[in-house]
Amino acid sequence: MDKFANVGWPEMLLMALIGFVLVFVVLVLLIYIMKAMGWVFTRQKKAAKVAEKGAAADVHDAISDQEIAAAIITALKLYKSNLHDRESEMLTINRITRAYSPWNSKIHGLTQVPERK
Amino acid sequence: MITLLQSDNFILDSLVKFVQMSGFMAFFADGGWKFIIMIAIACLLLYLAIKKQFEPLLLLPIAFGMLLTNLPGAGMFHSEFFAGGHVDWAQFAAGKAGLLDVLYLGVKLGVYPCLIFVGVGAMTDFGPLIANPKSFLLGAAAQLGIFATFIGAYALGFEPNQCGSIGIIGGADGPTSIFLTAKLAPELLGPIAIAAYSYMALVPVIQPPIMRALTTEKERKIKMSQLRQVSKTEKILFPIIITVIISLFLPDAAPLVGCLMLGNLMKECGVVDRLSKTVQNELMNIVVIFLGISVGATATADSFLNTQTLFILCLGILAFSGGTAGGVLLAKVMNLFAKEGNKINPLIGSAGVSAVPMAARVSQVEGQKADPSNFLLMHAMGPNVAGVVGSAVAAGILLAFFG
Repeated sequence: MDKFANVGWPEMLLMALIGFVLVFVVLVLLIYIMKAMGWVFTRQKKAAKVAEKGAAADVHDAISDQEIAAAIITALKLYKSNLHDRESEMLTINRITRAYSPWNSKIHGLTQVPERK
Repeated sequence: MITLLQSDNFILDSLVKFVQMSGFMAFFADGGWKFIIMIAIACLLLYLAIKKQFEPLLLLPIAFGMLLTNLPGAGMFHSEFFAGGHVDWAQFAAGKAGLLDVLYLGVKLGVYPCLIFVGVGAMTDFGPLIANPKSFLLGAAAQLGIFATFIGAYALGFEPNQCGSIGIIGGADGPTSIFLTAKLAPELLGPIAIAAYSYMALVPVIQPPIMRALTTEKERKIKMSQLRQVSKTEKILFPIIITVIISLFLPDAAPLVGCLMLGNLMKECGVVDRLSKTVQNELMNIVVIFLGISVGATATADSFLNTQTLFILCLGILAFSGGTAGGVLLAKVMNLFAKEGNKINPLIGSAGVSAVPMAARVSQVEGQKADPSNFLLMHAMGPNVAGVVGSAVAAGILLAFFG
């Protein structure tokens, strides 16, 4: 243990202090790097969102003119009203067959009318 | 007749020799009581691992390794083969090494802790830390326990290199403690590993009183704002950047940090799922068995039954308490400069002592005791994983000083 022969209280205290400060220095450096990385990525995200919003706003602006909108709506209305209704010509009534059951049979449930002879 | 007598003598001699060679006789030899005490301690640790479930995955193999090494006559571990910080390869070549000697090579050469760190990295989500990099500060402050204990150990008469190994218990990180101790003070490996893992299991007992003592009810009720979403690219870049920066600053920390980040990169990149799953499960489990048994094997009667072990156990408590206090206090200081709405709940500061994810869970539980609608777990995971990085950095610094 000759290696530490010259190490006393002042050196130990100093090493503890330097060690603790060094941990902070390294981790603070990492904070800034992470913040920079976060800033770049959040900026990219924001830019993408703004671009998305911008595209939506352009479409909205194009039809913001009330007269144009009214003209489009009228044209659509006229076009649709000129169209005749056309049936699909498909029969949707299907014959449903059920298995016979005397439980719901009316013939057994009702009093039969007496036969006149 | 003479032949028969001679034969009787031979059988008698053989029987006497057999009895003398048995481990039972060693109990009655000079200092044999130490073996009995060590076996009792090993059984106590086995009880704690199995019945009380104190970090059973590690404590069980450690305790069993301790049991094996203290069985007199078994010769499974020879600490003299590793005396003076060197490996006596001649003994290995001569075939005199026992099973535990061979397994211990992985500790001595610093292989097991690094392999475990690969697995830890693959199981860790650094997302909360990337979302809130300020957590690094809490992870750094929690290393106060390491350096306070370092001074405390020196006051108790330990050598400077041993002080570094004892101090690292405050990092609350088993593999880091073992890695550093195997390099700086291998003679203390047994007590330090047992102290580190035992206190890690006791985090829910040690931390809450300190957390409550250092915070007000109002502070414990602070609700933190939602963390931002972290993109996959950020998560992939993080391990690469951390490895490069820390390894350039502290080359001694490169094995630990590099392995931790390799595991994390495997997890985050999403293209090596098979490797990621292997390091998280099979590799991790195999190495944990080897590490536990061989670390336990170092706890021989001569190295364990002395006042140093008692001091180490006491200093371990100081280390954990100091780390907890450091994190909580720095969070309070950060709040002095934080705007309203950006305040930090000081309870998450205690999670900076690594012990992933137990310390973060303690923050969550304490936070919910103050306000059941407060969820601190994800916020506490930031300082928690920052603590892992912080303790690896601290280990690198101590290794640079005393290695």
